[in-house]
Amino acid sequence: MTEILKVEGLSAGYGPLRVLHDLDLVINAGERVGIVGLNGHGKTTLFYAIAGLTGWQRGSILLAGNQIGRTRSQGAGRYTHQIVRQGLAIMPQGDEIFNGLTVEEHLDSGAFTPEAWRTRKARKERVLDVFEPLRKLMKTPVGRLSGGERRMVSIGRGLMTDARLYLADEPSLGLAPKIGRAVMEALLKIDLQGSAMFIAEQNVALLEGRVDRVIGMHAGKLKGEASSASRLIGGH
Amino acid sequence: MTEPTEKSGYTWINPLASWGTATGNPAAPSVPVPDIREDWDRVTGYKVPTYLVGRLKHYVIWSNHGDRLWNRTRWWPTRRNLLHVTGIYNRKTAIAEKKILDRRPIYWLICMVLLALAPLVFPASMQNTLLTAGTIFGIFAAINVCWTLIIGTASIFSLASYAVVGTAAFLTSWLSITYGVPWYVLPLIGSAIGLVFGLAIALPALRLDGFYYALLTLGLNELCRVFFTTSKEFGSASGGLYGADSFIRESWDPMVQSYVGYYAAFALLLGSLSLFRLINGKRLGRVLRMAPEKREAFAAACGVDYKRARIVIFIVTSVALGFIGGFYAAQYRGVAFSIFSFDTVLLGLAMLAIGGIGKAEGAVLGTLVVVFLDKVLLEWGPIRHFLVGALMLAAVLFLNNGYFGIKKQFNAWRDKKRGEWRSTRTEKGGEALPEEATETNDKDQLYFRRFDKIQRDYLKKLITPEIIEEHRRQPLGQHSEALERVLLYFRRAKLEDKYALHRAGPHGPYKIIAFSGSRGVSPRIVDDREFATVDEGYHGVFMRRVHDLMES
Amino acid sequence: MDVFFVLTNAITVACIYGLIAIAVSITWSSLGLINLAYGFVFTFAGYGAWLFAEHISEMPVLLAGAGIAMGALAGIIVCLVVFIPLHDKPNFTTRGMIATLAISLIGSQSFLMFFGPRPKSLPDLFGFWTVDMFGVTLTSDKIGIVLCSTLMLFVVVRWMRGSRRGLEIRAMMMNPHAASIVGIGVRSTGIYVMAVTGAMGGLASVLLSQTYYIAPFNGLTPLIKGVSIALCGGLGSVQGAVIAAILLGLVEALTNEFLGGQYVLMTQFLVIIAVLVVRPRGISGLLDKAREQ
Repeated sequence: MTEILKVEGLSAGYGPLRVLHDLDLVINAGERVGIVGLNGHGKTTLFYAIAGLTGWQRGSILLAGNQIGRTRSQGAGRYTHQIVRQGLAIMPQGDEIFNGLTVEEHLDSGAFTPEAWRTRKARKERVLDVFEPLRKLMKTPVGRLSGGERRMVSIGRGLMTDARLYLADEPSLGLAPKIGRAVMEALLKIDLQGSAMFIAEQNVALLEGRVDRVIGMHAGKLKGEASSASRLIGGH
Repeated sequence: MTEPTEKSGYTWINPLASWGTATGNPAAPSVPVPDIREDWDRVTGYKVPTYLVGRLKHYVIWSNHGDRLWNRTRWWPTRRNLLHVTGIYNRKTAIAEKKILDRRPIYWLICMVLLALAPLVFPASMQNTLLTAGTIFGIFAAINVCWTLIIGTASIFSLASYAVVGTAAFLTSWLSITYGVPWYVLPLIGSAIGLVFGLAIALPALRLDGFYYALLTLGLNELCRVFFTTSKEFGSASGGLYGADSFIRESWDPMVQSYVGYYAAFALLLGSLSLFRLINGKRLGRVLRMAPEKREAFAAACGVDYKRARIVIFIVTSVALGFIGGFYAAQYRGVAFSIFSFDTVLLGLAMLAIGGIGKAEGAVLGTLVVVFLDKVLLEWGPIRHFLVGALMLAAVLFLNNGYFGIKKQFNAWRDKKRGEWRSTRTEKGGEALPEEATETNDKDQLYFRRFDKIQRDYLKKLITPEIIEEHRRQPLGQHSEALERVLLYFRRAKLEDKYALHRAGPHGPYKIIAFSGSRGVSPRIVDDREFATVDEGYHGVFMRRVHDLMES
Repeated sequence: MDVFFVLTNAITVACIYGLIAIAVSITWSSLGLINLAYGFVFTFAGYGAWLFAEHISEMPVLLAGAGIAMGALAGIIVCLVVFIPLHDKPNFTTRGMIATLAISLIGSQSFLMFFGPRPKSLPDLFGFWTVDMFGVTLTSDKIGIVLCSTLMLFVVVRWMRGSRRGLEIRAMMMNPHAASIVGIGVRSTGIYVMAVTGAMGGLASVLLSQTYYIAPFNGLTPLIKGVSIALCGGLGSVQGAVIAAILLGLVEALTNEFLGGQYVLMTQFLVIIAVLVVRPRGISGLLDKAREQ
């Protein structure tokens, strides 16, 4: 089994605040891994650190064998696009979305590599098969969509490339339970084909028994792994 | 010290069991207890590397006396102190001390005295050049101080300050030439012109966002230039308008003329500095400090009428700029078109950018640097302006807010770096961070936290499945040493760290509740788990405390 | 007849200034940079084209190409010096603006040092011929200028709408943070934007030097005019800039006709102020605060 993501001794934070404490983590090809934990315990920061968006970070991050983590103390986001081009698809928390672009342009903007750009029609079809409701909204500006539709667009954009690793940050956050479940459903339906997916979620019930592993996160440290997540959050 | 592998082979026997009076388990598999002194020695022993922490006390402190504590020098009719001095007590020796919190008045005084005495020490060969440059410095510094009031304090990015000065200068010169208006009226007329001009260009400032306004005023400046250079009344042929009445008599000795010019400009600078102090340091400036850019909405919600304050400052400053324009005309007997040129605006902006926008000292220093380059090093040719541009570019690229922003920027950078280093070498929880330790007055807290951390680390090693199982079987009564130590630690904790059991009915079930730790605030239910018997409940509380211990 | 002559003049000039206005507009909306170094870009391209004409070739197409290339180069220089070091620093907008002003100061002084104060003129690009259209005589350079600038504008707009880079630039206009998450490099996109807008400035420079000379300080007027048009049209909007260019061109023509040449700037500014007081973000400025930092 190949390792898609290998994190060793990762610490990260913003200014004097240290959010992640010496994390070690391995995600293998074909795996779907969930990470659960309360608000403010570093799930999003972990994703940001992988994408090079935190204030500072230390430690090694290997994405499919390439070193993408580096010790740096400034320049948040300066190398993110390079990391993304190495096969990272980020579906950020909330609505990091270009309000004025239409859904179609938005999906196009996910296809940043030259060969993805050439085959973007087929890719869009593939995304639309997953997110059927978007099909008739293709020409609508994203700013006019509802929260669930936006999230679908945001996730669909992440699916436009052949990423090695998909990072989905709280895909159900802020959505009505039914829609959130549908979005999560779609995310779990995606055929990984040798890549891996890493889902952060507060609502363990959505992940339970449907991902390969669940990792808990508490105060910037990873707390054990379990195939059933209930024990981890039972404490609180 | 026993090896971890041998831990499980140990069985504790209740010493009371053979007497038949035991309340706990008669015997239980447990773990041997390591000697805590080893941990103590290890943790408190000398470890390299150590880092210097704390901060350098680089301000002047001199002794104080209880009798003199309230005895302060004041500006005569007011209750205002001469300097912002505070009395402190030395942390180590508890002796009363005094320190100056704001030393800027002293520096200002020294600089102003130097400027006033400077003409006495100018070398004879350069006397004339330096006096001329000094005069220009005084006037431009006065303009820039007003301008920084507009850009910095009022946050209106106006590039039309030189246009106001120029318009006032041109109109007053023209009035003086045509109608023979005497010199002492010119600044007043200039002020009126400044007021009108200020009112006219304040109107768009009400509606436009910062940078739209900047570009608009840049255009206005160009408009003024074109208007004055092309109209015949203002001497389009001669490169300027000259012949106005002046307070510098032509019959005087040229040296005396230079001296009078220098000191007049110096007085003008002092006047504009007082204006700056009066606006920036008083109510208007403070109101606007509550409403920095991008936070206006919040300030408005607090009841700050920032728009009004900005416009008031803008208009007052425009009046001052008009005054300077009239003064300029009275000093130089007229004005040249170059006051409107784009290069003048650029040089002015360079002065502000080099010194730091929004600070009077920045405006003065920047003017000094640029005027020195521009007017003293005349033989350098066009490279002077090139140098000014390079300085401006460097200041903007590397400094957040000019020369006088360096200290703040450096401190912020150092704090950031320090925070990063610190956070990479310290663990969360437990011991106080070194920087925190130097700032805490009650050092007992530090020792307690340190001891507590050692103890928790030690107890964490004792938490094994054996003692958990032992506790589950008999929560009360005599326990093995390992479990007993853990329980003793739990008992000694603060109330807010403790839990209790809540009985729902006469015979259970029980739920775990947590104390709030403050009187009058009721305990809260921790989770929905219910325990059938009280012993199970005890064990539930124990597990929760173990969990908390392991997490800490 | 005279009105038509003035009108064609105004349209020609509006085309050139419109190019710069659109360049200013695109730079501001995609990079958040108020680029006041277009005067520098303008003069740089002018001198570049002049050197090209002096030393290599006077062929019109090559000459225009050289001007465009030099303009793009100047744009990239500005980007490397100002945008890349500053874009993630505090007070970027103010500092960026002052830095571009510093560049224009340094630029004009260096041109003065290298080329001296004497103006230079470029060879004619479009030859001498006239067309009579509906009784109006159109000279070759007017037609050429209008055609070239419209073509450039058309190409740029097409590129912005259709290509991947254009999509990246538009995405960056809307949400720079999300753009980096999608894999759009802020720095590389910045270089593209500045190169393209610089090329527009370069073309404007070559076109304008058909009527004017190239001198160290000649970049100022086009900059002020371009900025005014961009302001009036609304920063960030290409259509707005086109409308504003035509509007201000008309104002210029009418003022020239009825009031006299020296009042042109004044009437133009009154119009701009009137427009801005009614619509503070220009004729079709971005209504939502898409580019607030």
